[in-house]
Amino acid sequence: MDAIELEGLEKRYGKKVQALRGVDLSVRKGEVFGLVGPNGAGKTTLIKALVGSLRPSGGRARVLGLDPLKDRTELRRRIGYMPQSPVLYDDLSGLENVEFFGAAHGVRGLRERAREALRFVELEERANDPVHTLSGGMKNRVSLACALVHRPEMLFLDEPTAGVDPRLRSRFWAAFRELARGGVTLFISTHLMDEATLCDRVAILRQGRVVVSDSPREILRRGRTRLLVRENGKEEERIIGGRPEDLAEALHAYGLRKSVSAVSVETDSLEQVVLSIIGEEA
Amino acid sequence: MRRTFVVGRRVLRQLRRNPRFLVLTIVGPLVIVYFLKLFFDTFPEGFDTGRYAVPAAAFIVHFMAFLLCAIALVQERTAGTMERMFVNGFRRAEVIGGYVLGYLGLATFQAAVALGEVLWLFELDYDADVLASLFAVVWLLAIASVMLGIFVSTFARRESQVFPFIPLIAFPSVFLSGLLMEPDELPRWAELLGRAFPVFYANEVIQEMIEPGGALADVWTNFAVLAGYGAALLVLASLTLREVE
Repeated sequence: MDAIELEGLEKRYGKKVQALRGVDLSVRKGEVFGLVGPNGAGKTTLIKALVGSLRPSGGRARVLGLDPLKDRTELRRRIGYMPQSPVLYDDLSGLENVEFFGAAHGVRGLRERAREALRFVELEERANDPVHTLSGGMKNRVSLACALVHRPEMLFLDEPTAGVDPRLRSRFWAAFRELARGGVTLFISTHLMDEATLCDRVAILRQGRVVVSDSPREILRRGRTRLLVRENGKEEERIIGGRPEDLAEALHAYGLRKSVSAVSVETDSLEQVVLSIIGEEA
Repeated sequence: MRRTFVVGRRVLRQLRRNPRFLVLTIVGPLVIVYFLKLFFDTFPEGFDTGRYAVPAAAFIVHFMAFLLCAIALVQERTAGTMERMFVNGFRRAEVIGGYVLGYLGLATFQAAVALGEVLWLFELDYDADVLASLFAVVWLLAIASVMLGIFVSTFARRESQVFPFIPLIAFPSVFLSGLLMEPDELPRWAELLGRAFPVFYANEVIQEMIEPGGALADVWTNFAVLAGYGAALLVLASLTLREVE
């Protein structure tokens, strides 16, 4: 059984706005799954539907084999959720916030577990400071600690690295990897295409539809490679497929003649591949 | 039940961390009661100020408790902490119960301070049993007001959507609940409308108790109605508070 199974999930707001237009998706247990898309693609709507705080207009969703709405009491025990932008009580300290959300789950040894969660996000020394005195990145870390204090099987993180500087972002991703190694399934939304390459698999969401869902490596293979060859002082450009086999085949044609003085290869970035896929679909 | 206390403790802790808010919620009613005193001082001597001043104190407590609680809960929704509470497993009744617990202390304190100031400023001298009933009814009204605030907040998605409810609740309470005149002098329908507001029942008790020879036995049903009013709103609010959008 997959961690998430979605079939034709839809969400309409009134008659005009359709945030999700039939999303099909499956997420395997223990993987880091990226939901990538521009602002307004429907990422937050999809996450809210998966954690049971939004009623879909159609389709079917299963999270850990449970219905996000009907079985939400059971589901909420087993998942952690970090909303977009740090949703915390500003007057309370980081530790009090983590303890409050942990108390909902009846966590045993709550104080120690809350400290452990703050240690994990490397914020133990500021644990007792009121949240309103913390920087944006620190608030994000408190928010992450709140989501994982009860050691959930699955984490839903809605743009956890938005507005976070590059150094902290790499620490976040290291933390996500560490959680995944411990067996936690992570479902992470981002609008940054370069973060997609850090996931095991990704789904590209655009205007409420999944445009492509695969591993970043497989998606990159669908791109094109530009082969630039200089022979006898003359530049030649050839467009070939994105697979390593395509490159080998193209190089065979040259047979590594002495006259070939330079070879360079430019491959499509993930973003370019996705844009061309979108172009094909349109 | 445990999680209700967790929410209540968190609400109280937030109130404590917010001294400016706390001071305003206590000093606000004190200042308004003082203005009331200045207003009544312009009246001819021998005017029965007690008949108006004690209910006015009750109304101030009612209004403040209602408004503060409604806004605080709507803020939870706009900030997203309401959704986060639900996704973390808090249930509707626990969130509402926690708010009642958290604001109960504040409402009790407001009731005591406003009533105490009215009695002192207006030099009203009542027997201990009358004082006890007055405090009890203002306190009960404050609780019903907290419930009303919770109930109204469930219809608002933003703070700005609470504001239209304020005149809808404040003005009928002032004009139809007997604060300024006897409700039975109103047209029948207006009198019935007045009964939809909790201030009506609090005022009935206050008017009876401050009358010489007033007896609690004659108005105890109003106590019951007020308690029932709060309980009914609590049930309604736990039905109208949306856990899933």
